Amino acid sequence: MKKIGVFICHCGINIAKTVDVEALTEEIKKYPGVAYAENYKYMCSDPGQNLILDAIKKQKLDAVVVSACSPTLHENTFRNVSERGSLNRYMCEMANIREHCSWVHDDKEIATKKASHIIKSIIEKVRYDEPLEPIYVDVTRRALVIGAGIAGIQAALDIANAGIETILVEKTPSIGGHMAQLSETFPTLDCSQCILTPKMVEVAQHDKIKLLTYSEIEEISGSVGNFKVKVRQKSPFVDWEKCNGCAECDLVCPVSTNNEFECDLTSRKAIYRPFPQAVPNRFTITKLGQPPCRIACPAGVNAQGYIALIRAGKYKEALELEREANPFASVCGRVCNHPCESDCVRGELDEPIAIASLKRYIADFGSYPVEQKKPTGEQIAVIGSGPAGLSCAYFLAKKNYRVTVYEAEKVVGGMLVLGIPEFRLPRASTKADIDHIKAFGVEIKTGVKIGDKLGIEDLRKNYRAVFVATGAYEEMKLRVEGEDLPGVIHCIDFLKKVNLGEKVTLGKKVAVIGGGNAAIDAARVSKRLGSDVTILYRRSRKEMPANAWEVEEAEKEGIKIEFLVTPNRVLGTNKIEAIECLRMELGAPDASGRRRPIPIPGSEFKIPIDNMIPAISQKPQIDWLGEEFERTKWGTLVVDPNTLETTVKGVYSGGDMVTGPATIIEAVAAGKKAAEAMDAHIRGVEIEHKEWKKARPAPETLIGEKKVPRAEMPKLSIDRRKGFDEVECGFDEETVKQEASRCLNCAICCECLQCEKVCEPDAIDHDLKDKILEYDVGAIVVATGFDIYDPLSLKEYSFGTIPDVVTSLQFERLLSASGPTVGEVRRPSDGRVPKRIVFIQCAGSRDKENHLEYCSKICCMYTAKHALLYKHRVHDGEPIIFYIDVRTGGKGYEEFYNRVTDEGTTYIRGKVSKVYKDNGKIIVLGADTLSGKQVEVEADMVVLAAGIIPTKENEEFVRKLKIQCDANEFLTEAHPKLRPVESNTLGIYLAGVAQGPKDIPEVVAQASGAASKAIAILVKDKITFEPTIAGVDEDLCSGCSICVGVCPYDARELDKEKMVVKVNAALCQGCGSCSAACPSGAAQQRNLVDRQIEEMVVSVLEEK
Amino acid sequence: MSKGNFEPKIIGFFCKWCTSAAADLAGTSRKKYPANVIPIRFFCSSRIDPQHILHAFRNGADGVLIGGCHFGDCHYQNGNYKTARRVAFLHNLLRDMGVDKRRLRLEWISAAEGEKFTKVVKDFTEEIKQLGPLKGNEK
Repeated sequence: MKKIGVFICHCGINIAKTVDVEALTEEIKKYPGVAYAENYKYMCSDPGQNLILDAIKKQKLDAVVVSACSPTLHENTFRNVSERGSLNRYMCEMANIREHCSWVHDDKEIATKKASHIIKSIIEKVRYDEPLEPIYVDVTRRALVIGAGIAGIQAALDIANAGIETILVEKTPSIGGHMAQLSETFPTLDCSQCILTPKMVEVAQHDKIKLLTYSEIEEISGSVGNFKVKVRQKSPFVDWEKCNGCAECDLVCPVSTNNEFECDLTSRKAIYRPFPQAVPNRFTITKLGQPPCRIACPAGVNAQGYIALIRAGKYKEALELEREANPFASVCGRVCNHPCESDCVRGELDEPIAIASLKRYIADFGSYPVEQKKPTGEQIAVIGSGPAGLSCAYFLAKKNYRVTVYEAEKVVGGMLVLGIPEFRLPRASTKADIDHIKAFGVEIKTGVKIGDKLGIEDLRKNYRAVFVATGAYEEMKLRVEGEDLPGVIHCIDFLKKVNLGEKVTLGKKVAVIGGGNAAIDAARVSKRLGSDVTILYRRSRKEMPANAWEVEEAEKEGIKIEFLVTPNRVLGTNKIEAIECLRMELGAPDASGRRRPIPIPGSEFKIPIDNMIPAISQKPQIDWLGEEFERTKWGTLVVDPNTLETTVKGVYSGGDMVTGPATIIEAVAAGKKAAEAMDAHIRGVEIEHKEWKKARPAPETLIGEKKVPRAEMPKLSIDRRKGFDEVECGFDEETVKQEASRCLNCAICCECLQCEKVCEPDAIDHDLKDKILEYDVGAIVVATGFDIYDPLSLKEYSFGTIPDVVTSLQFERLLSASGPTVGEVRRPSDGRVPKRIVFIQCAGSRDKENHLEYCSKICCMYTAKHALLYKHRVHDGEPIIFYIDVRTGGKGYEEFYNRVTDEGTTYIRGKVSKVYKDNGKIIVLGADTLSGKQVEVEADMVVLAAGIIPTKENEEFVRKLKIQCDANEFLTEAHPKLRPVESNTLGIYLAGVAQGPKDIPEVVAQASGAASKAIAILVKDKITFEPTIAGVDEDLCSGCSICVGVCPYDARELDKEKMVVKVNAALCQGCGSCSAACPSGAAQQRNLVDRQIEEMVVSVLEEK
Repeated sequence: MSKGNFEPKIIGFFCKWCTSAAADLAGTSRKKYPANVIPIRFFCSSRIDPQHILHAFRNGADGVLIGGCHFGDCHYQNGNYKTARRVAFLHNLLRDMGVDKRRLRLEWISAAEGEKFTKVVKDFTEEIKQLGPLKGNEK
């Protein structure tokens, strides 16, 4: 049985007045287990403590209860006494009979009775207390500071100067934060950069500081003394070891985007340095991923890239960039079906960029003579000189392979020259692309049909690999009676003859059957040969597979289209005389997703016709390939989807031969894919896979953009379209530049590689990846700073609609000597010097109903400063400030304010309700409460003192770090009065505006405070934790793991071998959730076990 | 049976970070309230097992008052959410057992709310007085 000593304090009259301490002592003496009871005036005093010490020794007490004030005040005091008496400190408990009893009750009898219950409950607790040893944990002597504005910089310097290694993490590419954006600081008007940059440089050169900029915290685990941190160092796509900040890249980058440092007053390039004094002084590329156009293109053509280069007037470079992915620039610039344009984000605003037509321009005007190359590598054979075959040859030749292309026809180009009419694709354009391909040393043998004298087996013997791409030119038959009558000319045959210059005679009336591009081509060719043409299509316009713009041109040219009609029989004796047609209706969708045409019985009608041209699709001719080439059920070749290799080793295939009739760009993509696969196989390496992430501009970017219509392609007028002259005339240079400037630069950096070309130290690396770095740290300082309250939500002030309404931070940039106006105060709209500026204080702050309830603290002072600096620069300028109060509570602040009012700034007390434009002038409508009137002030410029809010990352941070933030998302301190730099989590400290609005001197003071707290932890080798943690009784534990899920600190884990739960004493914070959740009682919080609680409850309720 | 002399016995299960601190503040501010609530101090309201509450009712408590931190303020992240769930569940159980669920009250009282603490103790004591002693506890 434990010998418990009870010590009752009078606390002067604080307790003794309302609690009969003498009677209480007598009563307690009789309580079971109490070996000694005494009362004294002031237990916490020296004599009081000695009293306890004596009793412990003389009475050989096992446990002590001190009945006095709140344990928050003196639990430690009395536990220290116990330790001095060689009694385990956790055998000492306090009973609060002051705050909880004597101070809140008047009746002595009632109060004494309650005190008795309270003391007895603590006696019961201590009866079952066990001696506990504090938990010792090694401390990692390293600090982490998150955020490198002035708060983070100061904290890092203080910790590092104490000799402790510090990791400083900053999310932007440079340290400095918002202070680097300021011009001068109040009240001394020191130049902000002048006082900041020495500290920045000190940080960069400090041997104890590891600076990680452009980095973010990925994950944090652990607890004080032993945090584990994962930092993601984002890729700047520039090797900062090599970059020397020469800025040549900045000159040649063709992409401009928002300049965050200048608060969007100007733009910056995709490759940039935040400001000239940036630390580290290196360049960073903002690349959000790959633009949607590039991802939509089957060949991955860098559309955003070549469009950016067009904007910069670099047509040659643009064409070079385009040809890295697709040699057929002239061809695709005219006849590509441009899936890129369907995904163009500009299309969400007004219309997609005319990407294909821009490509045509550079193909036509960006050409340059290519030096003829002679590859020396292994030999590859290609069968077919259509876009698939020639592309494959091109990409292989660029890799130094010696490629021979075998073409059955006498002309080179496949469908490009045999199928597409010249009024869409002139022969010269196709030739230009083919010549470019041949310049890389590709040999083309025409008039050689593989399968005749030379077989595929011969090629396999003589070449390292073979690519078969003979296309799909075998016509599908209509399978109607009379299809073979003279006068019925199949489409491919027809187009080929015309393209090769053979004479084709057509009658007056021609019917083309089908709805694809071939059908439209055939119709438009027939029209030019003088016939009256009707297209018969069995579905409706919506389902036509032909490009909509081609259909439109055909109709403009006078070609009629009859929908929902199909030929049933071809009528005629010696030749075609008429077609018997059936009307169709649309039924349920078929496999292609389009509604199936169903003939309407009895709807036959006749069309008298001289020629019929069926154009109902084609299929590949693969009979000449042996059975070892596996076929699909649709009659195409089976290939591996990743390598395009057929079922015969070393033979690859792509294009229409594999897919059936498809598009040119898909054929090009297939050729490229096969070339890469063949090359990888030959070299014995893995195929390189690029992981592309689709980038989009931020939604805010689209809000600001004005609608601009897409450039219209000039075309030949209908009456001039008699022959086969090209119908589309192409853009001129001015149109091209204008159209290119509509591009939204979705990915920002477009990998045009101009920077790479001028970088002397060869620092650009577009494949550089993010790095994940891991560190162990003992303490963390959070200094994540602030953002400006979004001025767009202050709709009444017209920010965003009136360009001369700016935020205070923007005004700082205008005042700044290194800013966009080199320190001259000028209006953003026209560059004029404003003669009157109205400053609106509390723009968003102190507005409980609509915006932020709190006061942002710094705005009164900086607005006064802005007015003064404006007056200094524009001597006849008139600053007017609308205010609610002027809060100038710092050292020298009131004096500064007086100076400002003395030197000619007008203060009007009242809120501004509206800022608007009237007749081209800016009017500020506000109140003057001191005169009781409404005032209307005409202003040249308006500056909004926008409220400050914590950075949006705070919300995520508090979850990662397990600290709290308040309702305004500022980080919560441990105690608002007495512990302003500590969070509620041990080892994590707060500094700067992240914890609440404050000005620079307060930030620096707080940063040093946080640093000192961190240092106090880090100078120790070990720190102690309270041992009142939850343990595990392994005999009772069934391994149900309910406690594991309940623990907020992940301190418990199931040992799968022993099937019991284990607790990490360093992580357990002793909340007791697991003890309440545990069904078997295996989890018990030490010195607050279930038994103790139950006994305490019983003792409180007993009447004795 | 006259309820006039009935003095309820109420156990207060308070978390040390918030409610117990609020009680301290009420004391420092010398607020006055009835002495029927005897406090028992926990590190977190989530330590409170429903069994402890039932134990209290079985052993003579007429009411049980649980005090924890406001949502978002729990010193141990989310202990108060667990308490809220357990009490909600227990309320249903008490109803099934024939115990008026008003006898178990859950309050979120922050360390700054000495005033609120006082009011809650007064209100709850009055409410239990009106409800009378828990069956089986009549003397």
